[in-house]
Amino acid sequence: MDAPEEISALRRFLLNLKAAPRLVLESAVRTGLPRTDRSRASFVFENLFLHLHPVRTHRWTLRWSTTWGLGILCVTCFLLTLVTGLLLMFYYKPYPDVAYQSIKDIHFVVPTGQFIRNIHRWAANLMVVGVFLHMARVFYTAAYRPPREFNWLVGMGLFILTLGLSYTGYLLPWDQLAYWATTIGANVAQSPRELTDALGITEIIDIGGIQRELLLGSDVVGEEALIRFYVLHVMLLPMALGMLMAVHFWRIRKDGGLARPEDVEQRLGPLGRDTHPVFTQAPLKTYQLVALVKGKTPQVENGPENTLPSMPHLFYAELAVFMLTTLICVGLSIWMDAPLKELANPSVPENPAKAPWYFLGLQELVSFSAFMGGIGIPALVVMGLGLIPYLEREQEGTGLWFGGPGGGRLVVESALFGFLAVSAVEALAISQGWLREWFPDIHQLAVTLFNPGTLITGIYALYSVFVLKRLNSTRAGAMALFTCFLCGYVVLTLIGAYFRGPNWEFYWSPSQWPAH
Amino acid sequence: MKRNKCLLLISSLACLGLLVAAAAKEGLWQPWRLIQASVTGENGPIDIRLRQIVVPGLRVVDRCVTCHVGMAPGEPPLSGPRVASSHKPVVHDPGELGCTVCHAGQGYATQKADAHGEVRFWPLPMIPLEYSYSGCGSCHTSLKVPNTEILERGRKAFERLDCLACHRLDSRGGTLRIGGAHGMEGPDLSRVGASGYDQGWYEKHLAKTGPGAEPLWRETFAPIDEASLGELKVYLDSRVGAPGLVEAKALFHSLGCRGCHKVNGVGGDDGPDLTKAGERDPGRTDFSGIRGEHTIQNWQKEHLLDPARVVPGSLMPAMGLSQEQAEQLTTYIFSLRTSNLPEAYWPKDRIRVERFGEREFATDGATLYGTFCAACHGIKGQGRHYPGMSFFPSVGNPDFLGLASDRFLAQSITHGRPGRRMPAWGEKEGGLRAGEIRELVSYLRALGGGMSPPPGVDEPRRWAAGDVKAGGRLFEAHCCGCHGPNGTGGLAVALNNPGLLAASDTYLFETIGKGRSNTVMEGFAKPTTTHPALSSAEIEAIVSYIRTWEAGPGERAGSPE
Repeated sequence: MDAPEEISALRRFLLNLKAAPRLVLESAVRTGLPRTDRSRASFVFENLFLHLHPVRTHRWTLRWSTTWGLGILCVTCFLLTLVTGLLLMFYYKPYPDVAYQSIKDIHFVVPTGQFIRNIHRWAANLMVVGVFLHMARVFYTAAYRPPREFNWLVGMGLFILTLGLSYTGYLLPWDQLAYWATTIGANVAQSPRELTDALGITEIIDIGGIQRELLLGSDVVGEEALIRFYVLHVMLLPMALGMLMAVHFWRIRKDGGLARPEDVEQRLGPLGRDTHPVFTQAPLKTYQLVALVKGKTPQVENGPENTLPSMPHLFYAELAVFMLTTLICVGLSIWMDAPLKELANPSVPENPAKAPWYFLGLQELVSFSAFMGGIGIPALVVMGLGLIPYLEREQEGTGLWFGGPGGGRLVVESALFGFLAVSAVEALAISQGWLREWFPDIHQLAVTLFNPGTLITGIYALYSVFVLKRLNSTRAGAMALFTCFLCGYVVLTLIGAYFRGPNWEFYWSPSQWPAH
Repeated sequence: MKRNKCLLLISSLACLGLLVAAAAKEGLWQPWRLIQASVTGENGPIDIRLRQIVVPGLRVVDRCVTCHVGMAPGEPPLSGPRVASSHKPVVHDPGELGCTVCHAGQGYATQKADAHGEVRFWPLPMIPLEYSYSGCGSCHTSLKVPNTEILERGRKAFERLDCLACHRLDSRGGTLRIGGAHGMEGPDLSRVGASGYDQGWYEKHLAKTGPGAEPLWRETFAPIDEASLGELKVYLDSRVGAPGLVEAKALFHSLGCRGCHKVNGVGGDDGPDLTKAGERDPGRTDFSGIRGEHTIQNWQKEHLLDPARVVPGSLMPAMGLSQEQAEQLTTYIFSLRTSNLPEAYWPKDRIRVERFGEREFATDGATLYGTFCAACHGIKGQGRHYPGMSFFPSVGNPDFLGLASDRFLAQSITHGRPGRRMPAWGEKEGGLRAGEIRELVSYLRALGGGMSPPPGVDEPRRWAAGDVKAGGRLFEAHCCGCHGPNGTGGLAVALNNPGLLAASDTYLFETIGKGRSNTVMEGFAKPTTTHPALSSAEIEAIVSYIRTWEAGPGERAGSPE
């Protein structure tokens, strides 16, 4: 009772003041330093930002070759674009001509403005590459199989949103590059008109025209289109992407972490010396929401025996990938500036007007038939990709690179076939022309249905059916088809990027382009 | 895990290093910072900061003065490197209009190559100093300018009458001071064409030489004759502070360039419209045929000297220009920059032309001829021949003018010669007004030494009644070598066009008989080494044969067997 009397309020205040830094730290990090298994666990689940991670991570997941860090690479790129994009938003003015001037200001007078824009642009490009590669990784390790089918679909959504974000960002600088690339995109949106024109029903229902107008808010790429793209780019798409990312990560946890092979224990071997000890006891049940949820959680009967504490094992790996990605973006940004061409000028078309590089394969297909190249084939491919985990439900090879019948050899064969097929069809179309050149009066519908793009698609489909029958495995068929399309897309993109000149004619090198 | 930790450490350090490097590059080693650091003002070193000229009305943000810091508005005199020196005194205050309005380049930029527009994707690079008068064209493209000869006459009058003794003009003269060494010099006349001047100056000058005048006045000023006064007026009106542009435009108005090229809607259609020729984008220009520097100005100059070498397949003939002429024309062509200035900034000359329909070329006959006709018909009307084209008729030929009535000349100019190179110059086509065509006709008369046909030469218009078949045979024997079968033209002009056939029979008859002196067209009434003399009946037969083409190509009378 006397004690409070002994220490005066002033003294207590001073003592508290002295202890304040420690008290603040303790109240923020309630579990102390992660030194024991217990504190390592609470370090993860008591932290809002970390508790998305499991407390313990399987050793298979921690191997570099399991994922090559591609998922984290994509997240890092997204965060980098988010931060740099926010900084750019302070200076960017979404109005024609003024937009261009504001980018010039960002280049020339905003402190490190050009550098920040470079990072934004490189991170965005790297993100597109990363998402491609991440998808390929998940496919080739057969990680889309149950129970992860839905997460594959979420991933597809993220893939499309990434392309959408990239494309909407392309217009914002309002230079010639942006303007004409966007015009191409708008024409692709209008391409169903090719079909409705051929059928003679455009008067009745003009789907292409409606799509184009929805995209541009007007007949031409102008101020309405710019503000539309801006809102999509800085608000709608990033928010959608963020939400879908959260779902994607959450599903990883709920689906039991990353896919791993059946015989993972034998494959992993003994623990390394710098790892922290593991539990050995497999729980018979866990106590999460037992009263509400049917079934069992993934840990039941599986045991945590080959897991390591996420802190530090997983976090150092993730941080390393994060920093490495940042380094790549920063390095590229110092090495090469983001392009900014002349002010957009609707009366001076760029020739050739090229879409962003990741759409050049599509543009190559569009040059054969706007509808099939821009909408028909992409829709088929997206649908096909989405259906993979539902049509291919085998067990063999889950979690292993090129797992399943055929294996790596099949992938090499398919890549070769895919390369030869696309090259042969392209060579034919480039050297001999196509139906329109052979039969000038042919109905447009015939060209829409039968053109180099649909022919390649058909050849690939037939090849994959052939492989499916030969190896008697849906997985083999899927691998053949996926590899062919990947290979075909790369070849088409390269042709679009390096071998197409004015009027989309074929040239071996830009030095042969006509001068005027 | 150790590997991951190492990777994290290394990548973090590398990242940090790169960021520091980028910040340092941006913050410390910007060339403009170094320039400003090397400059001293009256009170020692100056503030190192970004400087810019902002003119919202012109949408100008020019950061040129960040390096050219001596030209920044309100900056006291500085000493330092040349780049930081102040602007030489000019007509316009850089602080009022900015830099890029005149000099082009990229005003936003803060690095030399970008600012001077010597980078890819900047369509308006800086105008090189030797062509800097082109920049005036951004606003003053509509200046009214006569042809070189008239301008030159004015300059000679100005020098002959010794105006330069008291007045300064284009940085010359003004040494003689009335009232002694400390007396006042005459006003500088370099800009009087723009600022205006007292139209009664001559009377006032003269009055000063009257009784009780200062001796120096009486010694230096004497009465001037009427003609010289007119010449002086033309010259003074042309002194707007941009002599380089005025002289260049005068040359453009002397060589007949508008015969093929339209500028602001007036001119021929054979060549490209030049209204925006000054905005040529170096990024879209093929420099493969260019010797020397790859600037668009040099491209233009080389093109003027030898069009086909620079643009393969160009129809433009080599005009035989001197280097200096090519440079002057280049200056003029790059002054054709139709900047979208807000109207509040339009100068008087532009308003006069674009709003009140005035002309940007003097409308006397000589200037009109120089502007529209000289390229083909020769500067003196002597006709011209370019390789690969038909001879262009010598419209100043007295033989021609002695036969062609005013009405025929005016009609020929207004409607042209369909099917030949001669375009129609009427208001709807080439853009010339009736009054201007009248001026041209009387100028042609003057070129031909005042020759004009006797009155009634066109009456009756049709009298020839020769034998058409015989005429056809004669035409084939004597005419079609030059004029082509059926008069479709060859080395000489085509005859089968309604413009020519509107002429009277007398015109055709006399032209065949007398020919055109000093041209390849010899008179056929007298024998020469290449043909015998034709009788009047034979010439009449040819005229009748030529007349058969009037019916039009479909119903043309049978060509001779």
